[in-house]
Amino acid sequence: MGQRRRAVTNPSSRRVSGAPADVARVPSRKHNICMVSDFFYPNMGGVESHIYQLSQCLIEKGHKVVIVTHAYGRRKGVRYLTNGLKVYYLPLQVMYNQSTATTCFHSLPLLRCVFVRERITVVHAHSSFSAMGHDALFHAKTMGLNTVFTDHSLFGFADVSSVLTNKLLTVSLCDTNHIVCVSYTSKENTVLRAALDPKIVSVIPNAVDPTDFTPDPSQRLDDRITIVVISRLVYRKGIDLLGGIIPELCLKHPDLHFLIGGEGPKRIVLEEVREKYQLHDRVRLLGALEHKDVRGVLVQGHIFLNTSLTEAFCMAIVEGASCGLQVVSTRVGGIPEVLPNDLITLCEPTVRSLCAGLEAVIAQHRSGSVPSPASVHARVRSLYTWRNVAERTEKVYDRVSGEEVLPLDRRLRRLRAYCGPVAGTIFALFAVLDFLLLLFLQWLVPDRVMDVAMDATGPHGLWRPGPSSKVSGTKRAAEKDSSS
Amino acid sequence: MSVVRVMGPDSAPGPAVPWRKVLWERQPFPDNYVDQRFLEELRRNEGIRQYRYWAVVKEAGFVGQQLSCVAIFITLWLYMEQGLLSPERLLLTSLVCALLGYGLHQALTSQMESGCELRTRLADLQSATIFLSFTFGFSPVLKTLTESVSTDTVYAMSAVMLLAHLVSFPYAHPSTPGSLSLNAALFASVCLASRLPGALHTFAMLSCALLVFAMWPCLLQRLRENAPSQFTGLCVGVCIGGVGGLGSQSPGGAVLLALALGSVTLLCPLLLVMLQRHKDNIQGPWDEAEIHEDISHFLH
Repeated sequence: MGQRRRAVTNPSSRRVSGAPADVARVPSRKHNICMVSDFFYPNMGGVESHIYQLSQCLIEKGHKVVIVTHAYGRRKGVRYLTNGLKVYYLPLQVMYNQSTATTCFHSLPLLRCVFVRERITVVHAHSSFSAMGHDALFHAKTMGLNTVFTDHSLFGFADVSSVLTNKLLTVSLCDTNHIVCVSYTSKENTVLRAALDPKIVSVIPNAVDPTDFTPDPSQRLDDRITIVVISRLVYRKGIDLLGGIIPELCLKHPDLHFLIGGEGPKRIVLEEVREKYQLHDRVRLLGALEHKDVRGVLVQGHIFLNTSLTEAFCMAIVEGASCGLQVVSTRVGGIPEVLPNDLITLCEPTVRSLCAGLEAVIAQHRSGSVPSPASVHARVRSLYTWRNVAERTEKVYDRVSGEEVLPLDRRLRRLRAYCGPVAGTIFALFAVLDFLLLLFLQWLVPDRVMDVAMDATGPHGLWRPGPSSKVSGTKRAAEKDSSS
Repeated sequence: MSVVRVMGPDSAPGPAVPWRKVLWERQPFPDNYVDQRFLEELRRNEGIRQYRYWAVVKEAGFVGQQLSCVAIFITLWLYMEQGLLSPERLLLTSLVCALLGYGLHQALTSQMESGCELRTRLADLQSATIFLSFTFGFSPVLKTLTESVSTDTVYAMSAVMLLAHLVSFPYAHPSTPGSLSLNAALFASVCLASRLPGALHTFAMLSCALLVFAMWPCLLQRLRENAPSQFTGLCVGVCIGGVGGLGSQSPGGAVLLALALGSVTLLCPLLLVMLQRHKDNIQGPWDEAEIHEDISHFLH
């Protein structure tokens, strides 16, 4: 760790595995963090905004952060975001659902370049669906870097595909230093899936920017009760249940309106329901929403409805509550942990139970016994903040940077011991090959002759929020640097 | 809001307040804290079915008898091809069997309450007439259908199709033969029948195929529901018939069939029962909820 910091002056001492014990426990240490995930802007979603917001808060705390993702269309190379957050869009082939193809090896040259040039000390991969994230963990361990992994989703155990993915997760996480999950349910799930020691798994929830989601009761129409649903229209979000709830409740309550934001294959279900019951004026389908438009839709509603069938954390209900809406949700996954009981009505994932929950909240509305949007917002705004997430993640980095990265022989033994005789042996072989490839790359271009990238963020960051000429100067320098 | 800011891994354990599985409250525990209640909602092998050996053997008997049915059909075809069985005799036997079976089927159906039974005997007679007349009319065409295809190809295709029939057969609910399995079996029968010497042979073979692959499973299902003890006996009988029949033509094939039957009906259930105690199915709050209700009535 400390040696790596000195790498600016003495780059030849960079390849160390593990950190010297004397510098292991200094809490104010600044880290060079590399976030790796296949999912980043311009793609939209929970993982993407998590990585972005967390990086911004870590920069604010004085750490150096770079993000690595794959190229999106014509967006490739190096980009800078707010506050000098550098993003590498690497030209790797996308295979399925924005996830890259993996061969375990082909991404090593590019990722090594990034890790060496940016003097990375901690590699933080996100999302178990991201092949690139797992690749980066694999290479980082080969290069002797500390690793952290954040799991954002829940997985079952029943079918063949989950058996396979869980095996791969076991391989990927068995020698990862620390794992972060977004809820306790997610932690239990990950510990079981990857057969981990629960002590190396931390629970750090997601957060919501409370200034983005403020209530505005003037946007509500008083002659009606509006139920807002904002979700991708897919099976896992329980849109079939929604298709049962809409006619049931609309027949009973003539002043009830539905406002549905989001797009997906299950849109047809809602359109059929709307057609059959002639609810065109009461059920509005808004299609896909940009993130900035979400608040504008939320504040028009009285009740926020979430019908998900599985959910690790569910940011949407926090956003809804932050806008002052009454939240009705299914009791699945990590959702019961997210909001206190007086802010959420939990129902079983059935049409009947959800209707009952919604009717109870509607009755409260009619009697005027619901708390005001402002008071709900005031309660929610301090529950989940990105600063808090960054603070807790920083502690994970502090802990991790004091741990040693397993040297190759012990890594092989760990793989064999934890992942079973077949998969363990195969991946131990992969680890050896990866190591040999790394040696070859180091022989071709030694670390000490590789240019060190300009720091935009971090202790020696050159980024100053000031005149644009300086900003673009830094950017030019860094882009030149990374293309050389 | 005054919160106890003891977070992050490896902080000292906090005061003696009980840990709660909530995220909205900042609790005086480190982030990697593992409580006693960790995984308390884990459920293992919920709703597991304990199998008993002989019960499984009985159920597997259905698979065995279907295998034997295919063997019997092939045996009949071998006899026809070598001219040891005349098409008239096969037709006559088929007719008698069909009538007997139909009577038995009717008797077993009337034992049940005829709530779901809507087909009249006239409708049955109509279908039979239509099928038989069309098959009879088209049998010269079917006879020459595969003339331009080499015999090896036809045999290979039939073998693959019969295998597909066995694999895709709906053993749980055979009273409505799966479209794939029935079509595969009929395709195989057409292939085989087209290699017989005459058009009447083809017709007899196809009628026989319909009897074996379409009607017989229906009757057997009725027997399974209403007369379980006779059903077992019948399965054993069919298996012996299959092995015996094949043995008269090809002793090697009969040995193989007997081995297959033995492994399907005796060995596989044994494996299932023995591997049962290794079953470790875990469920918990992370599982995707299932929609059990029928929501389609909102749409149609």
